[in-house]
Amino acid sequence: MKTIKELNEKRIPIVRIDNSLEKYKSMPIFQDKVDMANEVLRTVGLPKLASKQQ
Amino acid sequence: MVFEFISEGPKGQIPKLIKFSETTLKGFYNLAFGDKDSETGDIDDTVISNNGDSERVLASVVSAVYVFTEFKNDSWIYATGSTKSRTRLYRMGISKYLDEVKQDFNVFGLREGEWEEFEKEKDYSAFLVKRK
Repeated sequence: MKTIKELNEKRIPIVRIDNSLEKYKSMPIFQDKVDMANEVLRTVGLPKLASKQQ
Repeated sequence: MVFEFISEGPKGQIPKLIKFSETTLKGFYNLAFGDKDSETGDIDDTVISNNGDSERVLASVVSAVYVFTEFKNDSWIYATGSTKSRTRLYRMGISKYLDEVKQDFNVFGLREGEWEEFEKEKDYSAFLVKRK
């Protein structure tokens, strides 16, 4: 697992840890969208991935 | 995993929240984002804030996908809009940067009940990406 410090040294945005966001992890926000995603999983499944080229 | 960023425009600063939610399949996450009420902390993914920075908002969401997949690089990220027009906006955003996005992600669109490799100018009802 990468650390935030390692991430911030890469060409991706600066990320700061904000513990006040923790409460949203268990909160059922966007639950309608999650339900829709589960329905797509149930009815359609996953696409096939092409095998990686060497 | 939850991210917050700020939309800045004529309507001021609007905090936005992005959440990657677990689904019934391990490693398959739903990506959703919406406005955060700065007083109550409530989230609304249907509000149209019209803050004139939709492209930057989408870029911030893409950035969050990069960060998330740095941690969980074998995950599938599923996303769809809360309305058809918003889904179309996402499709246009993906299309605009497709060549860059495809360097790092496999990109799929859901069309007529099947996943297919994402192509510009095609309408999709949902999107799915996986880090290469």
